[in-house]
Amino acid sequence: MAWAIVYYDPDDRSTSALAFLDTCPMKVEANLLAVLDAVAAAPPPAFSGGGKWEAMHGQMGGFYEIRATGPNREQFRLFCILDNAEDTELAQRGLPGPAIAVIAGMRKPWKTAFTELDYAHVREMGSAYGDSRPRRIVV
Amino acid sequence: MTTLDTTYHQRRLDERLRDPEFRREYDAARRQVDQVDAVVQALDRLRVDTGLSKAELARRIGKNPAAVRRLFSAAANPELATVAAIASVLDAEIKIVPNEPARVSTRPRSRRADGVA
Repeated sequence: MAWAIVYYDPDDRSTSALAFLDTCPMKVEANLLAVLDAVAAAPPPAFSGGGKWEAMHGQMGGFYEIRATGPNREQFRLFCILDNAEDTELAQRGLPGPAIAVIAGMRKPWKTAFTELDYAHVREMGSAYGDSRPRRIVV
Repeated sequence: MTTLDTTYHQRRLDERLRDPEFRREYDAARRQVDQVDAVVQALDRLRVDTGLSKAELARRIGKNPAAVRRLFSAAANPELATVAAIASVLDAEIKIVPNEPARVSTRPRSRRADGVA
């Protein structure tokens, strides 16, 4: 069964994944959405996403990132969480079924790294999403 | 408990796909992703049909079992060399099949274009 794709809706919408997608070059956005849709159609543990959907490790464990390269090799990342549980728990979260929750997006020049602060901000958004009942998503 | 409407993504995507240029890029990206997925998923089905565990498969291609587990669970970008090695162990092979007959130019090549003035 295909999973839903939902977008976390933070207080500051300028930091949302949707605001990020709106600023992406068209080709980058198309690539990110194509990977998202492929993973939702064949969700983990099946292989999907064409190798562009990758589990993160360390302090970012529990997150998955989708990678895309833009003009001048600029790097674009979309950070997601798998939101799945027993039916009763999903109902508490307001979800009709399992979902890929798109938490945030970031971009960086080629051969540079995000800072720990950047990642901490993504984790904070992920925690806020995980604590919300029903889920705070864009409807 | 109220059930949330989770259709926003599809509605937004439908809107974006109205742009022919976006649709072209999306379709091309999706085809690429789907092809990689199809190859890895086909290999995994073949592995199961053959009765090989991931650990045994890893041993036969000289890879770390964790690397093979990652390959089949989308936690990493598969290397073509690894995919080819797995296909070989499973008595299969990777093929590139053109979607349409190759376009062969019927126009004679010009001598100037060949660099023969």
